[in-house]
Amino acid sequence: MSARNSIQISSKPASSLVTPSLAALADPPMRYVDGAMMDYFLIEVVNTLRESSAVATARSKRIEKEMIDAGLLPSPQPPVPALPLKPENPRDSTVSLNSKTSGKVAVIDDEEEAVRTRLETIGMHVGANFAERLCRDRSLFAETLDVIKFICKDVWTACWDKQVDNLRTNHRGVYVLQDNAFKTISRLSSWEGRPEAIRRAKLYVAMPAGIIKGALQRLGYNAVVTPEINSLPQCTFQVKLPKGS
Amino acid sequence: MPPGLRVNAVAFISAQNHPIIVRTFSAQDETTIKYHYIAHTSLDVIEERVNAAGGKSTDCYLGLLYAMEDVAVYGYITPLKVKIVLALALSDSVVRDVEINMIFKALHMAYYSSISNPFLTHNDDSVDGSRTLTVGSTKWKNFRRRIDEIARVVGNPTSTSIGGG
Repeated sequence: MSARNSIQISSKPASSLVTPSLAALADPPMRYVDGAMMDYFLIEVVNTLRESSAVATARSKRIEKEMIDAGLLPSPQPPVPALPLKPENPRDSTVSLNSKTSGKVAVIDDEEEAVRTRLETIGMHVGANFAERLCRDRSLFAETLDVIKFICKDVWTACWDKQVDNLRTNHRGVYVLQDNAFKTISRLSSWEGRPEAIRRAKLYVAMPAGIIKGALQRLGYNAVVTPEINSLPQCTFQVKLPKGS
Repeated sequence: MPPGLRVNAVAFISAQNHPIIVRTFSAQDETTIKYHYIAHTSLDVIEERVNAAGGKSTDCYLGLLYAMEDVAVYGYITPLKVKIVLALALSDSVVRDVEINMIFKALHMAYYSSISNPFLTHNDDSVDGSRTLTVGSTKWKNFRRRIDEIARVVGNPTSTSIGGG
């Protein structure tokens, strides 16, 4: 991550102050990442995080159970309908995601929530830094619409090689960004059929939603970003900006 | 070869107008508070310039903000509202805008490189402003080192080697 490197810029210094070393510091040469490798990596990230967060959730639940048994924590309230029978159900009865039992679905949603949160946090960090880097050479933003357009064009091109296909707004702080061939889910399919594929794709768009949210946050807008998939590979992001901006 | 400019101080101020870091390079220690004061007054001038430009989009580089007893203060605001203030020792040599702009871009890159480190900023993850509290600690010495490097390079235009590490 060092901005300094030992490449000598071979241009002659134009003035006494702008030395080759200052030019190298001010405008470091770009580092490139293989595109296909990045695609594979992003796909695997979701799977890895799913496993890792399952382990983390199991660990925290075990600790919580131990504390309850030891009497340090009050025992949980009678189970609310959203999570019935959870303490009694053996957690290692691995169920297929198609299971219709309400108890098991609640458990799976809990884990999926954890993965989604992690992905979104990572996306936020990445998005904020992307925005920082891409803003370097441009002038200050004149207004909110400018910021949204910057995201639609520059950030989208940097991350996914194309621009947003459709931008709609209700002029009251809600923007809808539509991408007709979103790169992240364009290669996703499931042998269980279209609806299943759409359901699984929801997890994969968590990180892009985080990227948008992070970029907006770094620019000063605390927005709420909701991704929606109605049909692959089309994806819409609804961005809700707080009142007054 | 005309002498290089002496950088007296560099200050970074966050979008919420909290100071991120104020780094001084003059010999005496007691003038550090003076540069805090300079950074503070620059905030007013920056605010005034940015509001005067109003609707039409302005440049990031704000140019000479003001000149005090022995320093000339230049300002730069990033589109993310982070302000960088540079205090140079007043001298007779001609100072070109494009050179100062380059210094600011280098400082911006140093800031960006340090901010991008996820292990640094995940500990204090409230809304952005609290990052300032941990800047004094050892984790941020990479940032300080980069700023020092830039100041050194500016001060010695004859040196062509870039320090490693």
